Amino acid sequence: MTRRMIIAALALGGVGLATYLAMYKLGFIGTLACTIGSCETVNLSKYATLVGVPVAVWGLGFYVSLFLVALAGTTDRFVNAAWVSHAMLAMTGWGVLFSGWLTYLELAVINAICMFCVISACLVTVLFFLALLEWRGRPQGQS
Amino acid sequence: MAKDRMDAGRGRSGPVKPAQKGSGGGAGGGGPRKKVEVRGSDRRPFYVLLGAIAVAAAVFIGWQMMQSKSSGVITIDPNMTLPEATGYLMGNATAPVQILEFADFECPACGSFATLTEPDVRKRLVETGQVSFRFMDFPLPIHRNTWDASFAAACANEQGKFWEMHDQIFATQDQWNGIVTNRPKAIFSRLARAIQLDEAQWEGCYDSQKYKLNIAATMREGERRLVQSTPTFVIGDKLIPGALGFDALKAYVDSAAAKAPVPGSAPTGDTALSKAVRPPGKSR
Repeated sequence: MTRRMIIAALALGGVGLATYLAMYKLGFIGTLACTIGSCETVNLSKYATLVGVPVAVWGLGFYVSLFLVALAGTTDRFVNAAWVSHAMLAMTGWGVLFSGWLTYLELAVINAICMFCVISACLVTVLFFLALLEWRGRPQGQS
Repeated sequence: MAKDRMDAGRGRSGPVKPAQKGSGGGAGGGGPRKKVEVRGSDRRPFYVLLGAIAVAAAVFIGWQMMQSKSSGVITIDPNMTLPEATGYLMGNATAPVQILEFADFECPACGSFATLTEPDVRKRLVETGQVSFRFMDFPLPIHRNTWDASFAAACANEQGKFWEMHDQIFATQDQWNGIVTNRPKAIFSRLARAIQLDEAQWEGCYDSQKYKLNIAATMREGERRLVQSTPTFVIGDKLIPGALGFDALKAYVDSAAAKAPVPGSAPTGDTALSKAVRPPGKSR
């Protein structure tokens, strides 16, 4: 299995996670299955919305985009495309920065930690390192 | 192997064939590598993995959604001490006549009264100081989402916007009633945004069901007054079931006003609640 495949699989897991949090935020799920931390404190805080859109929905958009790019990168047509590596590195790099900012808010401002947010932050970090390895060994043939 | 499975992309986590850098065969660019060819059969485990992840996520989310369906069942300690049944007051509590409405947010007749008659009642009777109007929750067990609606309104009241939420809930009854959905929270959240509530505070309040006992108290008050259906109005000494039109309601008000004591004494029709007076626009 290629790194792109692993990235796609992990991103799909992220899609599931973000969908769950977004559905909670939009009222389709009553309470979060949060065994550690205070997920609802975090998800009900004012920081859980950015530019009028729930952060979980932004996260869903991120994971879906990353999944589609990585999935495209596994196809015959784009398997040697360097832009896939560039895009995945840029996206996951941005994801790490954004997750870092959210984690800072949880620890320093909201004073509550959300288990699912921590899982997402860890997932993004793993995705970033995989994307970095993939980028360092990116195909040189196409762009 | 019949077909070459090169790993020129170095995107593989498995064993990698060495030294393909600059081996040629790629399409243009510096240091081209040989094109990776992953056969369909080699991708099969990948697609199986994606399918497994998608199914696992769907099952988990579906299960969570099932857990959060509104069942219409409320848990109340039978030994609880209920708070005072105050309902939600509109107008001057010392108005000559008080109207009590025992209503269920999901009841169509209550919705009809709220949207057709109540605007006139507010304008022509409440705003002129002739009556005060008090909404008393009376959620009926036949309605699945009515308790959720009562919670939504109670939590809007916490931010001083009960009547705005009351109007929105009745106006959108067709969107959140128990026949069309068993997840009304999404609709109520949208209403909370529409009337510019502090969403986080409202949502925390709604999820906690913190006004459950207050609603139970108004129900008990209705039962004490022998309310059996919704809407039921108490005007003066009359208990009137059914959605009233303005003229019929005004006739009851006039009748009660004719029996009203001289100004300065207790208002007619609501002796049990007269001590729970609040200024106009405030309730609970």
